[in-house]
Amino acid sequence: MADNKKKSNALASNPIVKAIGGQRLIVICVIIALFAFFCIKSPAFRQYSTILSILDYSYYISFMAIGVTLALITGGNDLSIGTGMVCYALVGGFFVTKLGMPVAVGMLIVVIMGAIMGVLNGILVAILNLPPFIATLSTMMIARGLGSLLTGGLSITWPQASTADGWFRNIFKITVGDTKLPLGFLWVLILIFVMTIFLNKTKPGRYIIAIGSNKEATRLSGVNVVKWHMLAYIICGIFTGLAGIAYAATFQAIAPGTGAGLELDAIAGAIIGGTSMTGGSGSIVGTLLGVFVMSMLKTGLPFIGLQANWQQIITGLVLIAAVFIDVIRTRKR
Amino acid sequence: MKKKLLSALLCVAMVASLVVGCGGSTEEAAPAEEATTEEAATEEAAPAAEGGYHFEIVSKGFQHAFWQAVYKGAEQKAAELGDTMNFVGPNSESDIADQVQMLNNAINAQPDAIGLAALDVNAALDAITAAQSAGIAIIGFDSGVPGAPEGSVLANAATDNYAAGQLAAEETYKLIGEKVEAGGVRIGVLSQDATGESLISRGTGFIDKMAELAAAAGKTVGVVGNDYFVNAFAGENAGDGAEVIIEVLVPSQVTAELSAIDAQTLLNKEDTICIYGSNSHSAEALVTADSNIGKLGDTVVGVGFDSGIAIMDAIRAGKLAGAITQAPVAMGEAVIELLHAVASGETVSDVDTGCQWYTAENIDDPEIAQNLYE
Repeated sequence: MADNKKKSNALASNPIVKAIGGQRLIVICVIIALFAFFCIKSPAFRQYSTILSILDYSYYISFMAIGVTLALITGGNDLSIGTGMVCYALVGGFFVTKLGMPVAVGMLIVVIMGAIMGVLNGILVAILNLPPFIATLSTMMIARGLGSLLTGGLSITWPQASTADGWFRNIFKITVGDTKLPLGFLWVLILIFVMTIFLNKTKPGRYIIAIGSNKEATRLSGVNVVKWHMLAYIICGIFTGLAGIAYAATFQAIAPGTGAGLELDAIAGAIIGGTSMTGGSGSIVGTLLGVFVMSMLKTGLPFIGLQANWQQIITGLVLIAAVFIDVIRTRKR
Repeated sequence: MKKKLLSALLCVAMVASLVVGCGGSTEEAAPAEEATTEEAATEEAAPAAEGGYHFEIVSKGFQHAFWQAVYKGAEQKAAELGDTMNFVGPNSESDIADQVQMLNNAINAQPDAIGLAALDVNAALDAITAAQSAGIAIIGFDSGVPGAPEGSVLANAATDNYAAGQLAAEETYKLIGEKVEAGGVRIGVLSQDATGESLISRGTGFIDKMAELAAAAGKTVGVVGNDYFVNAFAGENAGDGAEVIIEVLVPSQVTAELSAIDAQTLLNKEDTICIYGSNSHSAEALVTADSNIGKLGDTVVGVGFDSGIAIMDAIRAGKLAGAITQAPVAMGEAVIELLHAVASGETVSDVDTGCQWYTAENIDDPEIAQNLYE
């Protein structure tokens, strides 16, 4: 027993482990293990196009997850991101396809709507002190109805890749010669870098973490907690808007009334990546890794012939394992 | 004090916006010009005495362009016959409970008859029985209301989805027949769900016909994948070892991503020669998945159902070999005609509103184009 403890202490003080962080290291191993497992089990999985698809379907979840990580760090949550993302993409697409506006304007509308929803969530949570779960559950319902209302309930198809207006799809996947390059991954990495710096090295970022640890203490030390608490939700909204653009670029048609449940993929990604549900700690890099665990499972499990419902069960079990690791770690401290 | 007042005001504003928001979520699915259920029921029940009837129509929502076209057909016919209608539908085709609620509202509005395209017949059974005991006749449309209690649904105005699935299989076989005869091939079927009657019929119609054609070519056939479709297959099932494997995939949840992953799984299998997406959602997922793989129109024949910009583009670009289209406007008209006939006390019988196979060659023919919607 004592021996074990010594071992784990030795592991914890290893500089590499320290730099990456324990849970993130485990998650990286899980991703590699999953990838290797699927590669061995399924020859069809071992293809460049599979990696492309995993990345394709990870962009919008990644953007949402980066955003919601901030909300989680404040000790809150944002359930409105899934239906919100679809709502903004619907409305932006409506302006482009039905009202004939340029695609760039449509994209801007998507992000602005996300920011507005972020402000609304911020007001409800930071100023009116509503429980974040309830507040964002309400805005989730509002976003769901709004998307259908504003587009007349009709599904929206953003310009196809083959048309001149389809250029925005190249932001995420560009064809050079005969090869398709996952350009979107570059944007994700850049945003991960920027947000990691923001969270750990800037004052607003540190305040957001401090609010999650102890809002009252942070307020008493003279920090304008309302302002920074709101900022977390506004950033979350803006990232949801970016997710909306990625979603529109990835899929053919966007159906109103959908999107519920996608927020849970993003939240699960953040949790697997080591962000604490009680707030005060979390990492953007971890979130990205968590998203990849989810994406890897979703894409890989069908390849080994598992029926759809088993995929959800396994994803659920992985989530339990991740939270369990988090609980054990916290207890040790 | 000031702060309290402010927060009270904000609360009121919020509750108000919530009320508006939630109220919207049940009603907004109806096109803007539609009055709310209550208004429609009270105001428009009056002219019924003068000869015009009022109908409540519960559809599957307006997510797909298809439903807009059904609505258009119904609206035109109702105006022509001097009837009024309240045409509603849930936000999405997963909202089974919402639709049942809409059906209950429709019964409470006491119309002359109700049109219904059930998302899930079992979920709607109680409401259907209630309508029957209230003496309100139901006319089914689209997938209809199969398995409803005797005498509750008097007739259906529907595409014969089983026949449509068979037509898809026949047309597809013309393109893949040679490969099937060589054996060792896989034919993929993508179905959005295995609960709605129309998708089940389109799937089984395709599978049965394809199996029949392959068996006629002297091949053993195996149906694998989704349990529902595997169990529904009545023919001899040789399973995974068959010379012709028909693999049916149904996602656990209706999202663009999960359906695209299913399509990708099929596209990546070496022996896949053809994939059939049985509605616009599945056909679009097929096109999305192929954007990374590029096998459609090359080594794999893609076949779709219904229309929409993405599917029509894919057909024009040669990605999809063709698709089946229904006749939504005719369906909308037929619903109103049946409802009108029932309300006038006439006896009614089922109407098959028909379907067509279209390809890049005939996509612009007027006969086809009138049923295609972007």
